[in-house]
Amino acid sequence: MSSENTFHYALSSNNAWAGYKAHQNPQFFPKLAGGQSPEILWIGCSDSRCPETTILGMQPGDVFVHRNIANIVSPTDINTTAVIEYAVAHLKVKHVVLCGHSACGGAAAALSDARVGGVLDTWLLPLKTVRFNHAEELDAITDDKERTIRIAQLNVEAGIRVLMNNATIREAIAERGLEVHGVFFDIGCGRIKELGCGTAHKSSHAGHDHVVRGKHGQLVFGQDGEAEIAAAQ
Amino acid sequence: MFSIRLGLSPLLHSSKQASSALPRLALHRTTTTPLRLAISTANTTPRRFCSSHSSTSEKDRKDITMYLQETHDKVFENNKSWAAEQVAKDPDFFKKLSSGQNPEYLWIGCSDSRIPAEQITGLQPGDAFVHRNIANLVCNTDLNVMSVIEYAVKHLKVKHIVVCGHYGCGGVKAAMTPKDLGLMNPWLRNIRDVYRLHEKELDAIPDEEARYERLVELNVYEQCRNVVKTAALQQSYAENGFPVIHGWVFNFRDGLLKDLNVDFQTILKDIQKIYNLTD
Repeated sequence: MSSENTFHYALSSNNAWAGYKAHQNPQFFPKLAGGQSPEILWIGCSDSRCPETTILGMQPGDVFVHRNIANIVSPTDINTTAVIEYAVAHLKVKHVVLCGHSACGGAAAALSDARVGGVLDTWLLPLKTVRFNHAEELDAITDDKERTIRIAQLNVEAGIRVLMNNATIREAIAERGLEVHGVFFDIGCGRIKELGCGTAHKSSHAGHDHVVRGKHGQLVFGQDGEAEIAAAQ
Repeated sequence: MFSIRLGLSPLLHSSKQASSALPRLALHRTTTTPLRLAISTANTTPRRFCSSHSSTSEKDRKDITMYLQETHDKVFENNKSWAAEQVAKDPDFFKKLSSGQNPEYLWIGCSDSRIPAEQITGLQPGDAFVHRNIANLVCNTDLNVMSVIEYAVKHLKVKHIVVCGHYGCGGVKAAMTPKDLGLMNPWLRNIRDVYRLHEKELDAIPDEEARYERLVELNVYEQCRNVVKTAALQQSYAENGFPVIHGWVFNFRDGLLKDLNVDFQTILKDIQKIYNLTD
């Protein structure tokens, strides 16, 4: 598709999407216009292959979003901080999700010794710091792809530490049980997995399967954090 | 995904009970501040918990914990079905995605949960590089957005940069609220600056709602100008003839995007009189 075509495609596709949504549910847009009350704040990478609402299978109104280069959470970055403040203190989201991903260009740049140029080296400094702090572990990984994956995961862990020290987030955890999760999106298979950092631990359901019954089926949460749908009995 | 929602229904029932047992005061406190009102007026669903720490009973606590676990797990289940769906349509979908990205667009939009860039435009994973912040601002000293622009233009060589705002923007309204918003002051101040730049036009609009809508449009327009002020944009355009800038506004009432038809050439010429960075 030529670039001019992509542009017109996006606009005409929006037209079709709006028509479809309104046809499916005439209240969809009036309800959206009434306000937002998302339960999730998503902090992810700008990478075009990580469209959060799509990969989460969610709808407009569900996820409040900040996306930047290499999903870096820098304590003094006023852009990210304003997003966190608004989402946590004012919208009162229930989950903060920090998501890294495989094949991340920012992670690859941090592993290289070349300067990227412009403002990017400064922005990527926290990631570079992760690299130097874990030099031994990273150097021991022989496969380039695997090393990029590992540094991206360590970057999420570092970001989670910054989030957990954020004053607004700390208050929300103490006052209303806000949860903070570090997750990783594998572009190679489309799946998200938890990295086991932040406030949430899979152990909350440890020892027994947790079953939520519905009218037509039931959702079984296994001990490993995986969930399955079973037919109603 | 549909099954999950069904699966959650017993929980919704219990959470409704729990929330009715919680102090209503807490709920009111969050909904009567001007900022909260500006963001949301209608969309309070019964399954949202609004509780304060001191007066939450042990049982409510347990319900909340369970509810949090399940809203969280729902996401992973949805993601699994989404991934399976893509593979069913194209077995090589994720293999192709892993090989790299080559997006045509840079999308600079609002963090607002109601505007997932890809869904409203029908663009697929890999099509649009995305930055989203409060009120879709492009600030000169913000290394976050500046890094995004530089990477998208110089390294990914995007062809279009879209700044997309939306009517009913909570950030724009909050910025115009005569209130100290602490940490958000430095960020939202930029919107007051947009107002000051267009004070005459905005003051002449008697209807408050219409004035806000116009401010949303003017904010998009000014952020487009800010993109044009960057070295990355000016140099790439001089060299390659791209990217070009577009200003769009999303309307919740009908789900449609409005193209503000930003005159890129004229803006570029105007900007370069003072902000030329191409030499």
